Amino acid sequence: MTEYIVKESNLTEFFQAVSQNRTLLSPVGQGEKCRLEPTTPDKIKLDFANTHLSPKASFFPQTERLLAFHKDKSLPNSNVYQDLGDKAQDCVLFGLRPCDAKGLTVANKVFQNDRFVDPYWKGKYEKALKIGLACLKPSPQCFCAAVGGSPFGEQGLDVLAYVKEGGLGLKTLTEAGEALIKSTKAESASLSNEIQKLEQEAYGLQKAEKDSYKVITERDLMEVYNDPHWPFTAENCLNCGVCTFFCPTCHCFDIQDEQSEKGGVRMRNWDTCMSSLFTLHASGHNPRPTKVERVRQRFMHKLKYIPIKQDGVFGCTGCGRCVVMCPVNIDIRDVAAKMCRPTQTAKV
Amino acid sequence: MAAFEEITKKIRQSAKTLLESGRVQTVIGFRTASTPLNAAPVFIRSAEDCDKLIWNSFCRLNLANYLPGREGKVALVTKGCDARSAVGQVSENQFLRENLYLIGVPCSGMVDNQKIEAKEPRPIVEVEESDGVITLKGQDFSTSVKIEEVLRRNCLTCSNRTPKLADELAGPETSSPAADDYSDLKALLSKPLEERMAYFKELIKDCLRCYACRNACPLCYCPVCFVDETLPQWLGKSDDPTDTFIFHLLRGFHCAGRCTACGACETACPVNIKVREFNRLMELSVETNWNYSAGLSWEQKPPLTVFQVDDNADFIK
Repeated sequence: MTEYIVKESNLTEFFQAVSQNRTLLSPVGQGEKCRLEPTTPDKIKLDFANTHLSPKASFFPQTERLLAFHKDKSLPNSNVYQDLGDKAQDCVLFGLRPCDAKGLTVANKVFQNDRFVDPYWKGKYEKALKIGLACLKPSPQCFCAAVGGSPFGEQGLDVLAYVKEGGLGLKTLTEAGEALIKSTKAESASLSNEIQKLEQEAYGLQKAEKDSYKVITERDLMEVYNDPHWPFTAENCLNCGVCTFFCPTCHCFDIQDEQSEKGGVRMRNWDTCMSSLFTLHASGHNPRPTKVERVRQRFMHKLKYIPIKQDGVFGCTGCGRCVVMCPVNIDIRDVAAKMCRPTQTAKV
Repeated sequence: MAAFEEITKKIRQSAKTLLESGRVQTVIGFRTASTPLNAAPVFIRSAEDCDKLIWNSFCRLNLANYLPGREGKVALVTKGCDARSAVGQVSENQFLRENLYLIGVPCSGMVDNQKIEAKEPRPIVEVEESDGVITLKGQDFSTSVKIEEVLRRNCLTCSNRTPKLADELAGPETSSPAADDYSDLKALLSKPLEERMAYFKELIKDCLRCYACRNACPLCYCPVCFVDETLPQWLGKSDDPTDTFIFHLLRGFHCAGRCTACGACETACPVNIKVREFNRLMELSVETNWNYSAGLSWEQKPPLTVFQVDDNADFIK
């Protein structure tokens, strides 16, 4: 849509303007402590790599209480579940990396589609204006280019910002984003040449080759599923939940009821396909009895099933969190490379 | 201390001999990881793959974790602590001694990535190691760090760096530092209950219940962990701090008298919780009450699984 610049000296004023009547969320803290949290306009960081946890928790918290009841018979509606409702407030997110913004769009299609609309996700997702921050220096584990993304990716964002000499460059991408930036003192500018140049440079800094895993989406589903490498790929997996909990697109949850003598609550909690319990049936049967099936499920879901359901878009956005966090170095880039072509022998 | 290249060479040779002779079907060791500051578990089944095996200061995980329930004869590359875990598993009847071969590596301590990041916060692309120095390389920098300055907490108080019960050693014995004196925990124990509680609550406040600590732990081999039981469900699944606390507390108790301070739990933890504090507390108690440390002989039985008439019974009122 339109391009703008904000001078370095006006940044605090700019963040004040965009967060007028809204909560401002942005990465705070260093390194492992870097989290997306409510903050103030004067504390915006521009020099972070990415948040430790993905931003999904802001829309899909690890525990979300959905319904509650009380047991006090002297009051109305005792022992009847009441909707706790959507308490989402207007907010603006500054500093979403393009991989994470794209990750939210993948999850968004799971929570809002022509079959279901999840009110808890919808409320939070739609009340958030999203300003991305392009990656000028991708981290060593980044590979967004390989899965159809870009360090300057625009999906899921209302505005894309980037750090430029003397301040911020901005490109508005939606009407809401345009209205937001127009309400500030940002100056119009023509930035498309600079953006194109910086994007190419940032691509160059990534080790990943553009669209190198695209061939997975073209292969026969059962052929990828039945490849003999899976038992070996899964062999060192601990079946912990690190990859799924850190993933910006993993969205599986478990509904639980808890009660005390006073009342009860129905909630949903993050779940993980790495856990044996995830697929354990009430009968005792488990369709994914070993870690081989579970590990295959995770990668098939990211790189095969989601593309089938979401027009070829991968369920992995190349943020690299699982690559770094996996305690046993199961590297999704290696697994994706194996999924690109038939494995010749069982040996890996 | 032998150079890591020498140790690596020795491990590869042993692995090759063991596989070729049919003494074992699998060698579980470490390979180069795809990310810096890391080494990954690898399962070697043929002599030509033995060159994938490596040794460096990042072989932090405890490979004994892969033993319970495994079929066939296995050789395991182990540090002092890992060998103790493997011995413990044999004494707990989780693996047959005759199916196990321990390639012991006299250890000089493994490094703590958090300590490295404190010294070099910029993104590290490549790591080199030699003569007790790690060189961290990034896009436009190269920083050298002395390994002894960045060792893990558990390695600084490890009294069993040389795996003496191993079937062979891949290098000359290394000397061990003074054992853990638990002085910090003893100080904590002298404080009022509320303060102790506050300390442990603060310790686990970032826990995500991903269970990486449990799953990286060679002691946690229960077919179904109590947190995963559904009939009945013992523990809530939410982020309720009480449930999270009970998980850590009970895991600590379950490991009492069995922990070998390998630190795999802390290595695996994605939010850097000092999980081992719970285990240390239990080890202090077991050492005090029964003068027992796990995995130091093939015959010894964990004190909480046996009864002796002269057992300390002060706690029975």
